Amino acid sequence: MDEADLIARARAGEPAAERALYEAHVDRVYRLAYRMTGDDDLARDFTQDTFIRAFERLHEFRGEAQFSTWLHPIAVTVALNGLRKVKRLRGREADLDEGLEVAGMARAAEPDLKRRLATAIDALPEGYRTVFVMHDVEGYTHEEIGAALGVESGTSKAQLSRARARLREALADFAEERVP
Amino acid sequence: MTAEQDDDRLPDSWLAAAREHHRPPPAPRAEMWDAIAARRERRKATRRNLRRLRWGLALAATLVLGIGIGRMGWLAGARPAAAMGPAAPGTAYRVVAAQYLVRTEALLTDFHAASRGGRLDPQFVGAARDLLTTTRLMLDSPAADDPRLAALLQDLELVLAQIAQLPGEPARQDEMDLINQDLTQRSVLSRLRAATPAAGAPARIQGAL
Repeated sequence: MDEADLIARARAGEPAAERALYEAHVDRVYRLAYRMTGDDDLARDFTQDTFIRAFERLHEFRGEAQFSTWLHPIAVTVALNGLRKVKRLRGREADLDEGLEVAGMARAAEPDLKRRLATAIDALPEGYRTVFVMHDVEGYTHEEIGAALGVESGTSKAQLSRARARLREALADFAEERVP
Repeated sequence: MTAEQDDDRLPDSWLAAAREHHRPPPAPRAEMWDAIAARRERRKATRRNLRRLRWGLALAATLVLGIGIGRMGWLAGARPAAAMGPAAPGTAYRVVAAQYLVRTEALLTDFHAASRGGRLDPQFVGAARDLLTTTRLMLDSPAADDPRLAALLQDLELVLAQIAQLPGEPARQDEMDLINQDLTQRSVLSRLRAATPAAGAPARIQGAL
């Protein structure tokens, strides 16, 4: 059965069709949520919110684009809004953690690429980090990212370029490994 | 990965390290589906309960508004006859509706702001319960003959019922998010503000009654 049929049946309230749509797309939504949060509980919450909202709004899906193209903006919006709330709630706690992390890094004798890169990715501005994770880590195209974030694909390219520049700057001492 | 042109691509070793950062485990498909189904069922149950309760309150609504009109009529009867307009009984509904809309707007505006910051004062829940009762009375009154006001009241009923059913501490952010989503998607606050009399203006429902 093709996806258009599934969507039509899901719109009609058929639970099996909703479940089939969920099964077809949940892995990618969860992966993105996890990449963006690094937290299983948050990734689960955001994935659930994404599908609840998608099923509630299924009547708005016109079928002019792929279902995944329609679904992923919902997933990204849910994750970004959720992360902002979490950040506000945990602001003071996060500041404390960050201070401890920086102190720990300063004591480290041998800087480790993975840890340094992870810290640098986390320190990217939200827009840069989202585009970097979607494109370079999860393999989304700039068109998909543009659709998900509500921006032009050129903006996605520009943000990716700036994100990479920031990462290169943060990991300057690994620069000899740069691709010519 | 993508086949797009990538002039400033990071070294492969960096990309490999980046893919290890926040590496997702397999998606817990069944657990998440169960949670989704449970949350959707709760929302459906809320809507079903609202419909049942509305029937139960219909008689009470008629009685309460009837008393209200009677009082307004009694007060109006004490005035000189020339001061009474032909629509005097309608004034009772307008006063009741105006007071209700102002209170509801204040509550939902405060809830919207507070919940986005992750806070939920338990007083919101109590106030929502009070207003929910009034909403049901309004829905079963002649005030709901106006289609636009009736639609607004139905949306308010749904939102207020969700707030009234919020658990206490700790506040469930996901539930509050869904309420805010309803507020936004249905343009509840903007419609409410359009229907609420301006501060200091006579109690009048702009375009709604």
